[in-house]
Amino acid sequence: MKAKKLSLLSSILIALAAVLVVLSLYFPWWQMIFFAPQYPEGLNIIVYPNKLEGEIDIVNGLNHYIGMENFSEENFPELAYLSYLVIGLAVITLLTAILRKKSVLYGLIGLFIIGGSLGAWDLSRALRKFGTNLSPTAPIKIDPFVPPLLGHNTVANFVTESILGYGSYFLIAAFILLLIPLWKDRTR
Amino acid sequence: MKKWIPIASGLLAGFVAATISFADFSTSTNNQAASGSTKSDAEKVYVPFGEKDDYYLFASGGHSGQMFIYGVPSMRHIRTVPVFSQDSATGYGFDEHSKKMMGGYTWGDLHHPAFSETKGDYDGKYMFATDVGNSRAAAMDLETFTVKDIINVPNTSGPHCAAFVTENTEYMFLPTRFAVPIGSDYKPLDEYSQQYRGVMSAVTFDQNQEKLNIAYQVALPPWSYDLSDAGKKSSADWAVMTTYNTEEATTNLEINASQADRDFIVLFNWKELEKMVAEGQYDEVTGQKMIFPEKHKGGIYLVPVAKSPHGVDVTPDGKHFIASGKLAPSMTVFSFDKAFEAVKNQDFSGERNGIPILKYESVMEREVNPENALGPLHTQFDDKGMAYTTMFISSEIVKWDPKTGETLDRIPVQYSPGHSVAAEGDTVSPDGKWLIALNKIAKDSYLSVGPSHPESMQLIDINGKMKVIQSSPVNPEPHYAQIIKADKIKTIEVYPKDENNKLATYKQEDAKIVRNGNEVHVYGIAMRSKFIFDAKAKRPDVIEVNQGDKVFIHLTNTDFDEDITHGFAINSYNLNMEVQPGQTNTLEFTADKAGTFPLYCTNFCSALHQEMTGYFLVKPKN
Ligand SMILES: [Cu+2]
Repeated sequence: MKAKKLSLLSSILIALAAVLVVLSLYFPWWQMIFFAPQYPEGLNIIVYPNKLEGEIDIVNGLNHYIGMENFSEENFPELAYLSYLVIGLAVITLLTAILRKKSVLYGLIGLFIIGGSLGAWDLSRALRKFGTNLSPTAPIKIDPFVPPLLGHNTVANFVTESILGYGSYFLIAAFILLLIPLWKDRTR
Repeated sequence: MKKWIPIASGLLAGFVAATISFADFSTSTNNQAASGSTKSDAEKVYVPFGEKDDYYLFASGGHSGQMFIYGVPSMRHIRTVPVFSQDSATGYGFDEHSKKMMGGYTWGDLHHPAFSETKGDYDGKYMFATDVGNSRAAAMDLETFTVKDIINVPNTSGPHCAAFVTENTEYMFLPTRFAVPIGSDYKPLDEYSQQYRGVMSAVTFDQNQEKLNIAYQVALPPWSYDLSDAGKKSSADWAVMTTYNTEEATTNLEINASQADRDFIVLFNWKELEKMVAEGQYDEVTGQKMIFPEKHKGGIYLVPVAKSPHGVDVTPDGKHFIASGKLAPSMTVFSFDKAFEAVKNQDFSGERNGIPILKYESVMEREVNPENALGPLHTQFDDKGMAYTTMFISSEIVKWDPKTGETLDRIPVQYSPGHSVAAEGDTVSPDGKWLIALNKIAKDSYLSVGPSHPESMQLIDINGKMKVIQSSPVNPEPHYAQIIKADKIKTIEVYPKDENNKLATYKQEDAKIVRNGNEVHVYGIAMRSKFIFDAKAKRPDVIEVNQGDKVFIHLTNTDFDEDITHGFAINSYNLNMEVQPGQTNTLEFTADKAGTFPLYCTNFCSALHQEMTGYFLVKPKN
């Protein structure tokens, strides 16, 4: 027997997920805040899917003491094409909403999981690269370190705090919206 | 048993319990009731760490040529801003811009700071000051607390009774303290009355270009002009200033300028003078548009006043001006409206040096003479329009009501107050919280530092009965000061990038040294914690020139970060400048000494500040 089409409500939820995915482009996905005694207000590195924001120059200026490479958009080629991938994902999600096929939805969920894991892996790879590839001639020698994807870390006089941005929450919400139809249109 | 006993004892028990629980039995020695506050004096001036003062105090530094900035009520010294004197702490007077502004002078006598105003209220944009030592005026930007322009004022000598600005900063007037011949040419003192003039200058300030300019001058009689104030509200088009030595004495002024029973207040309408200039009623002398009052009539009047007057201050409502006697121990309240009426009716008692004199009786409202108060100098106002006058000789401040002349309060200060300043006390809306006495003498008040004692500022709480609650030793000389609400001042943290500035270098790889004949231009970068003068050189932090080269060092601080200021000094070359965050600054000099000269960052910038060095090598001529 042919699989029943997904319900209209499920289709709407999936379409809504597509909207959230597009929306996420306009918000930061990830953020790192640096606190030190002389920077109680915190210095920010804010990562959008297509750009970096925050007090990048100041952070770079301070990082040179420990021989860390500069954060810059050139150092993150992902930023050049990530937004296209996201738009592609949104289009596929919208298509899923239109096709209303469970098998396609399974595929899409798989895509979300793979994409999310790749993103997290890419970011942690970058963090490892920056934290462990310190210049041997740096004025201040510290042990290599890897800042966590989420949570605290302490380097020299700085405490860093890694957090998710609104963009990531939109993606997570989109993912949850994709899961609801699985439960709602489950075969009894 | 009577019924009321249990009820009464119940009530009593309840009352006792309540008292024990809630009453405060600590023996508080609260003797502050008179001042209407429960805070102790210490609490009133204590600004805990993490909090900031409510007001800025800008105090003239007299012959230090500098402006001293304090917080009120803490009286903490926050910053010294160099204006007319070199300052090696900030490289002021060494870098190109400030060196040019100072025009070869190395000191000044900074008097009478004045804030820019909008509708008679401080707008927090600029601060002006004048130099009695070398006849100049300066404008300080309050975004950066740095001087943007200094102007030399020709034909005058010592603008003492300035700066005072008109209600919307249209003009600041600079009348001279010392009369001199036009152009300061040589003229024998025997020809004083004919050849000397007390020129007053109308100076404008262009806020977009940050440039001072002289609009016109007035060749007043050869008298000494002492203090002044602009009108407010209904008197906004007018201004007043006191003058002494109407005797036109040329020697031993102590005696000879104190003979006439009456001197004058010069009352003038600057709108009318402006119109006269527009209509061409002036002479062109020494490149200035000069109004000669005996020739170009109108707009200027004399008001007789008790001899050798000092301060003259306009009340916040703009209705009255108060002159203080100095040698006559009284204050005189004059009415603007009465003066306008007299001008309209041409009610003159005669002329002096071609200027009409108004009748004293027709302008005067009342003479005020508090008992035994001697040497009245300057008057400030509170939020209720009450006047506070400093008494130089009797060392006190007297509070009185300009409407009735009644003495309301008096308080001794230590000692000899010249000016005083109330919070926004010369605006249309004074705050009425604090008054600071600017004392000329502080003997025995502080730890001894030898024969010359520091001067002092005393903070007086004027909420209720006056009380001195804080005393601060200060650098010479607290001449006059102004107090502005802290939230009116909006400073910047870093200089914004200016891509149009051809002297700026923002990218490390762009740092370069360009030779042009015997001119060497260095486009360099200062950053934590190194200099880069030539990005491509083997040693990017070295400048090498030939003896006799003209060297320009254009240095940009690329640390766009709050409070990261760099300095730049060359050993033994008597050179030193400052580059604030994001700023580009230029040093220009001739490399006349051959040799090896280390250069270094003077302004502590980071943990590796000590390593922020390089070399300036000057190859000898053979
Ligand atoms: Cu430095």
